[in-house]
Amino acid sequence: MAAPSAKSDKDGKNAKSLLNQLAREERRRFGVAVVSGLLAGTLTWVQMGLFAWCVTALLVNSQPLRQLTPLFVLWFLILPLRGLLTYGQETLSQQASLAIRKRLRARLLDHMVALGPVHLSDYHSASLSYQLVEQVEALDGYFARFRVQLWLATLLPLGILFITLSQDWLAALFLALSAPMIPLFMALVGMGAERLNRDQFAAVARLSGHFIDRVRSLTTLQLFGQTAQARASVWAASEGYRTRSMRTLRLAFLSSAVLEFFAAVAIAVVAIYIGFGLLGYIDYGPSDELTLFSGLLILLLAPEFFQPLRSLAQHYHDRAAALGAADSLVNLLAESPPATRTDHASAVAPQAPSTLVALQNANVTHPERGVVLGPVSLALSRGETVILTGASGSGKSTLLQLLAGFVAPGDGERLIAEDFRFAWMDQRPLLIQGTLAENLRLADPNASDEALYQALAQAELSDLVNGLPQGIETSISERGVGLSGGQAQRLALARVFLSQAPLVLLDEPTASLDEHTERAVMQGLETLKREGRTLVIATHHPALKALADRHWHIEHGRLYSVQGEEVRDDSA
Amino acid sequence: MTPPDSLFATLRPWLSALAKRRARLWLGALLMALTLLSALGLLAVSGWFITATGITGLLLAAGVAASLEVYVPGGAIRFFAVSRTVTRYVERIYNHDTVLRLLADLRTQLFAVLAGLDSRTLAKRRASDWLNRLTADIDTLDSLYLRLLAPPAVALVAILLLSGGVAIFVPNAGALLAAGLLLGWLWLTLGQARLGMAASERHVHQLEALRSRTIEQLQGLAELEAYGSLAVHRARLDDIELRLQHDQRTLGRLSALGNALQGWLVSAATLATLWLTAHAWQAGTISGPVMVMLPMAVLAMNEALGALPASFTWLGATKGAAARLNQLNDQQIPVNAEATQSVSSAQTLTLENVSVHYPGALQPALKSLSLTLTPGDRLAVTGASGAGKSTLAALVSRQLSPTTGHITLGGVPLGQWPDDTLRQRVAVLTQQTELLDDSLAANLRLAAPDADDAALWQVLKNVDLAEWANTLPQGLNTRVGEGGRQLSGGQARRVALARLFLRDPDLVLLDEPFAGVDELTAQHLSNFLDAWLAGRSVIYLVHGLNVNAPMPPRITHTLALAG
Repeated sequence: MAAPSAKSDKDGKNAKSLLNQLAREERRRFGVAVVSGLLAGTLTWVQMGLFAWCVTALLVNSQPLRQLTPLFVLWFLILPLRGLLTYGQETLSQQASLAIRKRLRARLLDHMVALGPVHLSDYHSASLSYQLVEQVEALDGYFARFRVQLWLATLLPLGILFITLSQDWLAALFLALSAPMIPLFMALVGMGAERLNRDQFAAVARLSGHFIDRVRSLTTLQLFGQTAQARASVWAASEGYRTRSMRTLRLAFLSSAVLEFFAAVAIAVVAIYIGFGLLGYIDYGPSDELTLFSGLLILLLAPEFFQPLRSLAQHYHDRAAALGAADSLVNLLAESPPATRTDHASAVAPQAPSTLVALQNANVTHPERGVVLGPVSLALSRGETVILTGASGSGKSTLLQLLAGFVAPGDGERLIAEDFRFAWMDQRPLLIQGTLAENLRLADPNASDEALYQALAQAELSDLVNGLPQGIETSISERGVGLSGGQAQRLALARVFLSQAPLVLLDEPTASLDEHTERAVMQGLETLKREGRTLVIATHHPALKALADRHWHIEHGRLYSVQGEEVRDDSA
Repeated sequence: MTPPDSLFATLRPWLSALAKRRARLWLGALLMALTLLSALGLLAVSGWFITATGITGLLLAAGVAASLEVYVPGGAIRFFAVSRTVTRYVERIYNHDTVLRLLADLRTQLFAVLAGLDSRTLAKRRASDWLNRLTADIDTLDSLYLRLLAPPAVALVAILLLSGGVAIFVPNAGALLAAGLLLGWLWLTLGQARLGMAASERHVHQLEALRSRTIEQLQGLAELEAYGSLAVHRARLDDIELRLQHDQRTLGRLSALGNALQGWLVSAATLATLWLTAHAWQAGTISGPVMVMLPMAVLAMNEALGALPASFTWLGATKGAAARLNQLNDQQIPVNAEATQSVSSAQTLTLENVSVHYPGALQPALKSLSLTLTPGDRLAVTGASGAGKSTLAALVSRQLSPTTGHITLGGVPLGQWPDDTLRQRVAVLTQQTELLDDSLAANLRLAAPDADDAALWQVLKNVDLAEWANTLPQGLNTRVGEGGRQLSGGQARRVALARLFLRDPDLVLLDEPFAGVDELTAQHLSNFLDAWLAGRSVIYLVHGLNVNAPMPPRITHTLALAG
């Protein structure tokens, strides 16, 4: 169902095809909505016909009102039916819009997960979530209103033209003269709306930028006693914006004024033509066949000829907003996930039973930076603790991600034991909105309260939690407000304890921590080692070296053991 | 959450802000009414004209001598056609201008409120999504007039005029119209608003909840995947989306219902009017053309009522925006405009058992801190991030009030210092360097609005930036970019220091003064800073004393804050 395009521009072709593709999934609902809208429009015409018929019967045929009662009753009965149809049209397109947005959001989320933590770190998660929430919502107006209205604005005027033609071809000609102008109107309206949208958007963004900039610097402005001056500057910027945008608005509104003008003039011209025709002042064309009925009917239908177009103009910004949003979503979906990322199941187990995970000539390539790691061959035995050092950017994190399976080896192989599970901890621990218990149970949904308390004790969080009246049921508010950075890190450590995973991967676990938390984390790591877990710790911290059985060092993507020789294959 | 305030109480501050532009609002509404009356007049007169000509034509055809004056109605039709276009155009221009003026008013008013917020609230809300929501809330309120005030008022006036006009010809039709349309008006505005209130008020919060769950899912992907909790967390996210969509569906259905009812109302009113005017015509009290004219005028009411249901179904969103902005008023810091006691020097400072406990925090940010500073002291306060150093700075600069305890500055309770004097006597270098998206000169002149270029060059020389600034094609007029992004971290820090040197305070608080500055420059800065600090009392706020970072000059004693 390719909707008639209002205006074809070369840019945003992909955005449009995304919108069309999404609409196809809801073809049926849209179809029924369009039919409902057309039927409702038809009933409006019937209503107008009844109006003109009753008036003619009364005034021309001098029928008594009593005889017309059935017509009035019929008319009265049509009204709720028409209401039902418009209700159906609106709710169906809304349902379609809801379903489309839900599916698209799910698709985007799945896509993000498929891209994996490594790819995602290239993005700013706040702006990603903006795309997944706001930009998906921005499609609403287009699907819930514009798309169906576009069909109605094309088909309903045609129907009216046809009816008018059957009554009086000259009156129809008046309307038909404007018919070829309909695309012109739409282009005019579209250009106006699009330009309005673009200009407004840019100007609003600038103005908001100015405002937000001042608010961000408020502490400084307060300290220098400059808030009054800044307020004056906010006022001046807003006023400047107003004078500038009024200049563009005057022009932009002209396009819709043209549509308005034609709508008004068409009624006036039709009214005057019919009036003079009825009086017999016009002695050419079909006007001598005009009756009060046909005259009134044409007059009543003339505004309806332009009404769908006017509605469309009102919803035009929906289209612009949807195209803008779709454009950025297309780019997001275009990023293809690494093909072999989710292949834990198909992996071959390493030969030695004591080996938890092994890499064989594995390397990782980045589309722009080339090979960022490898080739690396290594085997990690159960219960050993390995420390991983190297300058930032040398490939430490990539190796951890490769071991975790967040990124698949480009060449070579990653072999994992059957019971391979791992716990992960980096510098930015995940805190979800909810209670402390919910945050802990991310690591083990079925953990008992006792297990939670034990894990908290091992991460040295008992003091904090025991001091809270609601204990582990205390909710930590949005984005971890209420917990300090160190406490959040210890919470992540508690999750590691809770998980019982044999392998623990830690990316800079002690960076930028206060002394207390640093001590807690170090003791925690010792406990984990005693529990017999396998630890791989990427760190700069000298004290952690004492903990290690082995020490790996990465330089420019090559892995060396501390003795200085390249790690080739330790499994032997 | 605040208790559910009444709609009017929530909107009142904003309505009174709009009331300052009363004249414009009335004129804008008048233009709207004129547009509507033109549309109404166009349809009504056209209907009258066609019927009149039709009847006259029939009489003429039957050979009866009849005549019809066509120039007045013909002129009226042409007039209404043009006036509808013109008033609509003028109305849109004029009312958009009004909305933009209101935007300026509200933004400025809001900025004044924000400028009085304490440092804790500001720090918590620095996040850009909060600021974006804030500006969105303001935009919601500045269109309050165009969506929720003027249209229902104009519709009400149109209903009264129309039923009055109809009543002149056919009194019972006028009465029926007044009753029916007024009831309908009540439903389309208040009824729709009431039914949609809860869901539309929740909408912003649900979007926000969905956004934060999405951020969790994406940011925590590594941990979630490691623990196999992706699906569990995804279920949480889906649950929120389900609730969001449930509300959206409710609101969509409600607004569709309102639109269907609105269409039914106008059609039914047209039908009833024709029925009654036909009776009146049969009774001989009105002419045929008038019988047609009146219901056609009623038909034009579609334009007056059409936009009401959708706008009022979403009234809760406007209420929510107003409520959020109203909340900001509760977090103001007290400001002292007049001196209640004469103050002189701010070189001494005492804190007695000062504690700060933020509402909602798990632990106090500062626990019974006492300290004394005598003239010329240079106290270094150490502690990890989160130990309360920035809280201490905010307390001393009166950007935060202590929960318990007392602070005196220069022997006078801190709360009694007049604001202007306090800002002159106490200078703070905050941990975070804040630069305006403006020129280098404008950023420096924040500290001294009257400083001449020579003074600015002097302080730039003091922080070793003069040479660099000299190489810039635009010199002091170079823009520093959003948040000082055009400068390196070290350069931005030095601009902040230069700003400080433009002032002449008694007490100086320096939070990590050399953060981001290389060692060599730090040494140079330290020498100048040492000289500039002579005769002033100083508090340094530093992470630790035994780290490799360059130390601030000449510490006289130290105080460690426990985490």
